[in-house]
Amino acid sequence: MLHRLRFLPGRLVQSIPVVFGVTLIVFFMARLLPGNPALALLGQHATPASVAALSKQLGLNTPIWEQYLLFVGRLFQGNLGTSLTYQLPVTQLVAQAIPVTLSLLGMALLLSLIISIPLAAVAAFKPASGRDLGVRAFTLLGQGMPQFWLGIMLILLLAVGLRAFPVGGYGTTAADHPYYLFLPALTLAITMCPTIIRSLRASIINVLGSEYIGTAKSKGSYGAALFRGHVLRNAAIPTVSIIGVNLGFLVGGSLVIEKVFALPGLGSLMINAIFARDFPTIQGVTLFVALFVVLVGILTDVVYTMLDPRVNLGAKEQS
Amino acid sequence: MKRRIGIAIAVATTAALLLSACSSGGSSSTTGSSGTPAKGGNLVIARSQDIISMDKTMTFDNNSLRVMEQIMEPLFMVSADGKTLKPFLATKYTISKDQLTYTIDLRKGVKFSNGQPMTAADVKFSIDQDTASGSAGWGFINAAIDQVTAVDDSTIKIQLKHPWGPLIADLSLFSNGIIPNNYGGKTAAEFYQAPVGTGPFVWDSWTKGQSVKLTKNPTYWQKGLPYLNSVTWTVVPDANTRQLQLQGGQIDIDDTPSWSSLATLKSTPGVNAMTFPSTQMDYIAFNENRAPFNDVHVRTAISDAIDRNALVKAVLFGNGTPAYSLLSPGTPFYDKNAGGATYNVANAKAELAKSSKPNGFTTSLLIQSGDPNQASIAQIMQSELKAIGITLNIQQLDPTANKQARLASNFDMAWNLWSMDIPDPDEFTSWAVDPTGGSHSAFTNYNNPAVIAIDKQAAAETDPTKRAALYSQLQKMTSKDAFLAYLFYSPYVFASTSAVQGFHVTPLGNYQLETVYKTKK
Repeated sequence: MLHRLRFLPGRLVQSIPVVFGVTLIVFFMARLLPGNPALALLGQHATPASVAALSKQLGLNTPIWEQYLLFVGRLFQGNLGTSLTYQLPVTQLVAQAIPVTLSLLGMALLLSLIISIPLAAVAAFKPASGRDLGVRAFTLLGQGMPQFWLGIMLILLLAVGLRAFPVGGYGTTAADHPYYLFLPALTLAITMCPTIIRSLRASIINVLGSEYIGTAKSKGSYGAALFRGHVLRNAAIPTVSIIGVNLGFLVGGSLVIEKVFALPGLGSLMINAIFARDFPTIQGVTLFVALFVVLVGILTDVVYTMLDPRVNLGAKEQS
Repeated sequence: MKRRIGIAIAVATTAALLLSACSSGGSSSTTGSSGTPAKGGNLVIARSQDIISMDKTMTFDNNSLRVMEQIMEPLFMVSADGKTLKPFLATKYTISKDQLTYTIDLRKGVKFSNGQPMTAADVKFSIDQDTASGSAGWGFINAAIDQVTAVDDSTIKIQLKHPWGPLIADLSLFSNGIIPNNYGGKTAAEFYQAPVGTGPFVWDSWTKGQSVKLTKNPTYWQKGLPYLNSVTWTVVPDANTRQLQLQGGQIDIDDTPSWSSLATLKSTPGVNAMTFPSTQMDYIAFNENRAPFNDVHVRTAISDAIDRNALVKAVLFGNGTPAYSLLSPGTPFYDKNAGGATYNVANAKAELAKSSKPNGFTTSLLIQSGDPNQASIAQIMQSELKAIGITLNIQQLDPTANKQARLASNFDMAWNLWSMDIPDPDEFTSWAVDPTGGSHSAFTNYNNPAVIAIDKQAAAETDPTKRAALYSQLQKMTSKDAFLAYLFYSPYVFASTSAVQGFHVTPLGNYQLETVYKTKK
C-alpha cells in the first residue's frame, strides 16, 4: 500500500517553487497598488508630511528589493514579519484566523457530503424518475442562489426566527465553535452540493451499469454493502478530484461567508489587510492559502491512490 | 460511520429547533424606564471593524478611539452638546495676562486602575508623549505648547509658544489622555498592549478580528460608577448581520446601521433607533490647480446646481440636513447664515455663463469604490450637472488609492467627509483653508490670504465673543469663494435594544459608558 505513495516526497519538493513563486508575485503586486499603509493608518489627518514621517517609522522608505530580501530572509526563519496595522507578528494573526477558516471548510465539506451522497444515490438509482427530477431541481436551485443571500435567509429563518443558532460570530469557547459554525458551513455546503451531486449521480449511473456490479450482485451483495463496497468506492473517484479543485475555490468563497457571518477567519483578515495595504499580512495569508491549495492537490492524489489500486502515480513519475 | 454522524446532527438540529421554537417569543418594548439604574451586565456593541491599536498618540481610527476613551481620560471633557468643555481630571484653570501660561489644577484623589495616584508628573508625561509623536501621530494638536511643568503634585503649568485659543479643547482630545508616568515602568509598546488609565473600565482582552473586552474599574473616582460590569465590542462587518443580531438579542448596540434600515429598526419592537447630531459633513473638493476649477464662477455654478435636499432624501433617507457652511451645527462658532450655495439651476447657469467655460465642459468626480452612499451622490450630481451643460464622469478608487490621488492633487473634483475630534473649529479650518496646514487646504490648493489671516487671528484669540465674530466672517468668506461644495450634515446613527439606557453620543462621535446601564428584562 505504502509503496504507491512514493510520489509524495517528489510532489512536496515540486510544490516549493510554486509556493515561493506565489509569494514573489504577491509581494510585488501588493506594492503596485496605489497608496501606502501610512496613508491608510492616518485617517482624515493624512498629509504629505505625516505620511512621509509614518512611512519612515514603518520602514517603508527603503528600496523594494531590500524589503523583499528582508522578507525572504525572515521567511527562512519562520518569521512572516510584523503587521503594519496592528504592530503584531503576522504569524500570530494568521495562526488565530487559520482554525476558523479550516474548521469552516471542514464542516462545510462534511455537511455537503452528508447531503450529497444520499441525494446522488437516490437520484441515480432511478434516473428520470420523480425523485431524480427533484434532486436535479435542488442542484439547480443550489447553484443559482448567491451565497450571501442564502446565508442571510438561513439567518432569518433559523437564527432570528427560531433562535436555534446565533446570528454570526465565532463564540468564545471551543464548545461554542461548532454551534456558531453550523449555519455558515451549511450555507457553503448547500452551494457546494450541486457540483458534487451531479458528478456523483452521473458516475453512480455509470457504475451501476458496469459488469462488475452485476458480478457483485450475483455473488449475493446487495443494499448498503453493495453501495458502500462497490458502487460508491468506484463512483467517488471523479468526485474526489472535483472536491479537491472546489476546495481551492472555496477558500475564496469563504471570504463572503465570513463577512456575512462575522467570522474572524482568513478572509476577513485578508480583506482588511488589502484595504489597509498591510503588506506583511497580505503576504502571510497568501502564503498560507497557496500552501493549502497545493496540499489539497496532493491530498486529492493520495485519496485517489487509496480508492483505486490501479492508480500508481509513483510509477508514472518514475517513467 | 458518516451516516451515524449525519443522523446525530439531524437529531440535534431538530431538537434545537424545537426547543428554541418553544422558548422564543417577541420581546416587548420597554423604553424609557425610570428609577435607579440597574447595576451589572455586559454591554455588547457590534461594529463593522476591529480596533487597531490602543496607542493614543498614534491611532487615528474611530473604532480604537472609542475603546481607549473608556480607559484613559482627559483633563477636560466635551459637553453632551459638543459646544463647551467641563473640567474632568482637572478642576479649574487660569490664564496669565499675556495669554501664554495656563495653570491647571488637577482633581485630587484620582487613582489609576493599577492603584497609583494620579499626579502632575503623570499629566506632564502624558501631554509630552503626545507632543513627541510629532507629525506621524497626533503631535500636531499640541503644536502651540512650548513646555509643560509640574508645579506641585496637583498643579501643572503649560507654557505656550504663542496665544492659542483652542488649548483647552486640545487637552480634551484622547491623545492627551492621562496615563502613568514613564508608562508605569514599561516600554510604550508593552504599555499599549494593556493600557492603564483612570477611566471607568480597564483593559481585559482582545481577540483580534473578533472582539475586544473591557471590565469595570472597581476603584473608579466617580463613586458608584460605572454601572456595567463589562463592555465588549464585537466585529460584525455586514450591516445586515448586525441588524439581525440586534433583533436576535445577540448584541445590545448596533454601531452605524445602514440608512436604509433605519425606518425598519424604528418600527421594530424592543429596538431603539437613535440618531445623534454630529459634526460630520460630506463635501465636494475642487482641485484649484486644475482649470477650470481655479475659476470661482465654475465652482459656484457647480455648487448651485446641487440639490442638497434631494441628496439628503436619497442618500440619508431623510436623516440629515443640507450643509450651507464650512462648519457643522455641532461645532462651536457655527454660523447658520454663512451663505453657502443653495440649489438654483438658473443661478448655476448664469454663473457658468460668466465663467471661463460658458458652454460647459467635461470633468470627473473621484469617489471611493464600494460605497453605495458615495455612488448615489455621484449619480445624482451627474444628472444635475448635465442640466447646466457639464458632463461628469465618475471615477472610483478604493479608499487608500483614493486618498493617495487626493494627496497628490490628482483629481478634478473629489468627494470627502470631515468630522471633528475636538470641540473647536480650528482643527478643521486650519486644515481646510491654510495651505501650510499640511493638506494643501483640504487637497483643494485653495489659497485666499485674507481667509488665512482671519483663521490665524481666530486661533490666537481666547475671547469667545471675538472668536465667534471671526469664525463667522471666515464661514461667509469661504462660502463666497466656494472652494468646497458643502453637501449635507449627517447624524451618527445607532440602534440598541430597549434595555440599554443612558447611551449618548456627542457631536464629536465619542461616548462615555460609565453612565450607561441595562434594565432587566
